[in-house]
Amino acid sequence: MEKEPTNGEKKLTCGDKAACMQLLEMILDGQADDDQCAQLESKLEKCLPCFEYYHLEKTIREVMKSKCTNKEVPKDLLSNIREIIAKA
Amino acid sequence: MSDNPRQEYSEQEAAQVFDEEFMPHIDAMYNFAYRLTFDEDEAKDLVQETYLKAFRFINSFQQGTNAKAWLFRILKNSFINDFRKKSKQPAKVDYQEVETYYNSDDVDFKGTSDLRVDTVKDMLGDEISNALNSLAVDFRTVIILCDLEGFTYEEMAKILDIPIGTVRSRLHRARNLLKDKLRSYAQSMGYDN
Ligand SMILES: [Zn+2]
Repeated sequence: MEKEPTNGEKKLTCGDKAACMQLLEMILDGQADDDQCAQLESKLEKCLPCFEYYHLEKTIREVMKSKCTNKEVPKDLLSNIREIIAKA
Repeated sequence: MSDNPRQEYSEQEAAQVFDEEFMPHIDAMYNFAYRLTFDEDEAKDLVQETYLKAFRFINSFQQGTNAKAWLFRILKNSFINDFRKKSKQPAKVDYQEVETYYNSDDVDFKGTSDLRVDTVKDMLGDEISNALNSLAVDFRTVIILCDLEGFTYEEMAKILDIPIGTVRSRLHRARNLLKDKLRSYAQSMGYDN
């Protein structure tokens, strides 16, 4: 999966964009089963556009997760909620 | 709030559900609220209102189901019904949702040719966060729910009250818009090859 896209065996154009895209997105979104993950590996072996798309999307998600870091919860939020509930 | 049959929690049970199932999500709730409103006070109000509603409607929460998704749905609805009206954000973005996008010309690998993995990795500042924030609220929301909070398509469909196909097409469009934004940042930073 982490191989560089220099493999001359890879096709430069994707022969089955719609199916590839659907599979790629499901896997990136954590919605695919083991079978589909195995399918993806074999697709990425053969198809350069899919390989590049997969790694770009994966990187964006990783950077987003690390950069869109948690904003700290205001100190009084918890006690405010407790107060509101006590009065409710 | 839910189509589930109602049950009655005793006062003690309700307090326990509230403490053990609802309160642990306060971080995620506040972060979601902040990314919707961009305002600390409004985010606080929104979370408080959500928890108050959760408490009031606690009998429609089924124990053993996903409390986080249930709370996010209340928060999202509160935002749409109360907060979006008050704030200056446009009420509705004009865009078409094409559920059959996998068969359309929209399917392409646009972005990989002129936005590179290394470029994204080099974005050390707030570019990604700014790009996310710049998206229209409906697009921003699906990316937050999926990528930052890890909800499944099915959970997102419930939170947003839209079909799973719409979740997927909206996510797909949101990701393309996000990449467009990143691409323009990359160009302005001189990262383009
Ligand atoms: Zn392919």
